[in-house]
Amino acid sequence: MRIELDDISLSFQPGTPFAVKALDRVSLMVRPGERLAIAGSTGSGKSTLLGVMAGILRPAAGRVLHDGQALSRKPRLQPGRIGLGLQSPENCLFEKTVFDDVAFAPRRMGLDGERLGQRVMWALECVGLDAAASATREPFSLSVGEQRRVALAGVIAAEPAVLLLDEPTAYLDPATRRDLLERLLAMNDERGTTMVVVGHDMDELAVFAERLVIMDDGRVAADGPADKLLKDEALLERYGLEAPGTVRLCRLLSGCAGREFAAVLDEEQAANLLQEIMGWGPGG
Amino acid sequence: MQLTNLVIGQYYPGDSVLHRADPRTKIIAAFLYVVVLFMVSGLPALVLLGAGAAAGIVVARIPMLWLYRGIRPVLFLVLITFLFQLFLYGGDVLWRLGPVTFYREGVLRGGFLALRFLLLLISSSLLTFTTPPVRLTDGLGRLMAPLARLRFPAYELALMMTIALRFIPTLLAELDRIIKAQMARGADVTHGGLITRARNTLPIMIPLFVMSFRHADQLALAMEARCYRGGKGRTLRHKLHFGRLDVALALIIIALLGAALWLGRFR
Repeated sequence: MRIELDDISLSFQPGTPFAVKALDRVSLMVRPGERLAIAGSTGSGKSTLLGVMAGILRPAAGRVLHDGQALSRKPRLQPGRIGLGLQSPENCLFEKTVFDDVAFAPRRMGLDGERLGQRVMWALECVGLDAAASATREPFSLSVGEQRRVALAGVIAAEPAVLLLDEPTAYLDPATRRDLLERLLAMNDERGTTMVVVGHDMDELAVFAERLVIMDDGRVAADGPADKLLKDEALLERYGLEAPGTVRLCRLLSGCAGREFAAVLDEEQAANLLQEIMGWGPGG
Repeated sequence: MQLTNLVIGQYYPGDSVLHRADPRTKIIAAFLYVVVLFMVSGLPALVLLGAGAAAGIVVARIPMLWLYRGIRPVLFLVLITFLFQLFLYGGDVLWRLGPVTFYREGVLRGGFLALRFLLLLISSSLLTFTTPPVRLTDGLGRLMAPLARLRFPAYELALMMTIALRFIPTLLAELDRIIKAQMARGADVTHGGLITRARNTLPIMIPLFVMSFRHADQLALAMEARCYRGGKGRTLRHKLHFGRLDVALALIIIALLGAALWLGRFR
């Protein structure tokens, strides 16, 4: 599904002393199958942008188009089209068991029996939960990190054409973070799921994103291929972000052994560079 | 509807006479105003009280839009009150509109009650518009202090009221988020019969309750972590000061309420 934002502006509490301009004339297009990351310092409008894309926040000015169709004033959200993982998604758990909660959206879409079971198990595995063990547990008896994963599974279970996720890896342990990102990559690869992810961790975005949009003060400050923007340390720093570890490593290494090193994003490439400098030879 | 755009008695920052007045003056004034509002009968007294409230709005420089948004959620109750009165009373026929007949008595009573209701809303909103929640708590706590000697939890009660007030916008924002997140998962609260709809609100009501308890839990922890031990022996950071401004304000309000009572005693 293609999402177009056309000259979007949005303020919170407009016309009051508390008015905050969240988005300021933002135009953006998300192409089908794309893996887009949105970064920026806090309060730059990332989450608002995500809400507008999903159609849950109505902009004060501008148009939102889903597949070329302008959204009505009260858009009907359909599971299966857009999956929305807001910040703290665990706040939306409500069923008695993990299975039922994850099965909520698929059931709404008419799945039942074995297919439903398979879908739920698949979604639980996607977020790194032991499907068989956790399915019968009560959501509120889990830790917050596990609750968050269950909630994400509930979003993924609808197999939406577009996944909009607001800091999906926050609160997860490092192993699960990596795992979740890899599962998302696989979904994008196998099913062509369009992904828009808001994130702070540039190392994660380096692994995940094809395209990067940097927000600053409600405007799009930069928009381009992730592997190009993520190597531009000056640009990232200007907007309160930190370059991925590999990029910083390459800068620190430059000058070593009398050589300059171009920034790389891939961890293995960075490791190879180090090996070269140390004279260990590749694979050594 | 964007729930987050609702304001119910939300503080409107300013530096007017009403903003600077001692919260106790304003609390007592608002209380007496409401008492008088329900004692008087007859339109002239009500109009006088209305003029007083309007003057308060002007002096406090509350924008009309803010006022409107503050009372909008309850406006339909005012309308229902009016309609009820309109059709409950018979008497002289005022005019006919097809099958509907309007009686003089009904229109007058409906208008009177609706106006009274509206003034009740506006006057109590005026208090919360011009008083930050913390000052409101301080004022309430102090006013109820004599009761504390009778082991009545005066300060705690004041704090509870303030917290409740403060959490209205927060919970509305949370509710808005939950509704939207669940709608994206296919929840549907706008279709089906009464029972279906009631059952369909579960995905929204359960998270909202869980969240409220979580908020309460975290707030209690945070307060204890900052050594909150109940109201006993607490001092105020901003000392309440009943000054000349308050004397003047009190005199004006007493004059207004007195005049309204005098006007309203005929009937």
